[in-house]
Amino acid sequence: MEKPKAKVDRKKCLACGGCISVCPQDAMSMCGGKAFVTVEKCISCAICIRICPVGAVSGEEVHQL
Amino acid sequence: MKYDVVVVGSGPAGSATARFAAESGAKVLIIERRQEVGVPVLCGEGISRKIDEWDMLDGKRWIAGKMEGARIYSPDGTMVKLSADVAGNETGYVVYRDIFDQELARQAIKTGAKIMMNTTVVGLLKDKDKIKGVKAKHFDEEIEIEADIIVGADGVESKIGQWGGIDTTLKTKDLETCAQYTLTGIDCKDAYCDFYLGKEIAPGGYIWVFPKGKDVANVGIGVLASLSEAGMAKKLLDDFIDSHPELKKGEPIRFLAGAVPVANPVDTVRDNLILVGDAARHVDPITGGGLTHCLEGGKIAGEVIGKAVKAKDFSADFLSEYEKRWKEAFGKKIKRNYLVKEIMLDMEDKTFNMLADSLKDYKFDQISTLGLVKALVLKHPTLLMKLTPLLKLSEGKEKDT
Repeated sequence: MEKPKAKVDRKKCLACGGCISVCPQDAMSMCGGKAFVTVEKCISCAICIRICPVGAVSGEEVHQL
Repeated sequence: MKYDVVVVGSGPAGSATARFAAESGAKVLIIERRQEVGVPVLCGEGISRKIDEWDMLDGKRWIAGKMEGARIYSPDGTMVKLSADVAGNETGYVVYRDIFDQELARQAIKTGAKIMMNTTVVGLLKDKDKIKGVKAKHFDEEIEIEADIIVGADGVESKIGQWGGIDTTLKTKDLETCAQYTLTGIDCKDAYCDFYLGKEIAPGGYIWVFPKGKDVANVGIGVLASLSEAGMAKKLLDDFIDSHPELKKGEPIRFLAGAVPVANPVDTVRDNLILVGDAARHVDPITGGGLTHCLEGGKIAGEVIGKAVKAKDFSADFLSEYEKRWKEAFGKKIKRNYLVKEIMLDMEDKTFNMLADSLKDYKFDQISTLGLVKALVLKHPTLLMKLTPLLKLSEGKEKDT
């Protein structure tokens, strides 16, 4: 199983943009006024999870088919 | 569609750039992804009284309150009071950022700039490597807008810089992660901005209480991202409010999150490209304040863009006048304060307590380095050693000027 990828809880996200500014893979962007993860780019470094001021980003196990 | 300049983002830096570019004759379009300029607010809303010198905003509707000074609380609660004369360069007014931003956008439009809302830029238009404009989505419609200069005023999460070949990715030690309540039903006893320091209170940052009226204040926190865990900023802010009865009795009418670069500025110029504001990391790394830099930098950018349009020269070489001038205006200060930030991060709570204890009765109206050092060292001789790196920096500064 792969490491968990970042997942944004759109209800909690307040669109501060912090996660986008620190993502080393440019895997995050703003989409529809909320942070959005491009899963293919995410390298599971969890930086975005740790820096979210409101805990809106968590890790999600991704099962490959 | 073809413009001389497309400004991506209608925050203060974007609107100031647009205004001064339009004023010098350029055909300007501002693009904003949101549906309302200035909303949601992502800011502590404090601004230096330096803003008075520029006269960029009409009326007073954007002012929530004029500040009489600031109080800084060390980790053990020792308070140092700074009068407006001393603190005014950091905290002059508390503003309504939504009205503030809308007023700046209005000024830009008054001088001839156009604005397009609900429009998200999704990439740069390029001819081989040359930037020719932007690709954007206006509601569901994909559009292309040509321009000779693209201005990245797209905030802390700037993509324009990345797309233009400037590495804007922040290290976690160069980002403050923030949360803020606007609390009402509290008693703001006076027009002072309060700052609370301490590793337990706000690691690598501080908690602020900025009054916006008699019974309403912004109560917020910044935590250095490298010291943060998921949701830490909100949790520490909640803990702080819970342990302060005068704040606990308040009710929140607004909650917001924020991200503030506390970094060294990046390159701000490429062929056909300029970065301004948070996108350019034009923020004071100690206070996290950036509004005055946004306006000053935006004005410089707008003026240089005006010249570029007249000369039909959009090369990085021509645009570098902008970089040269902002470095002169406030870039040196940012660089120096970045070093101060690094030194302060290494200081223990105990040092801040000693500092505050030495300064609590100091008359800040007669500020001089020597007087300050005497005041510090008389009470706590060991401070001298702990502050040596700072004093060395300050000596360097005096040689500079």
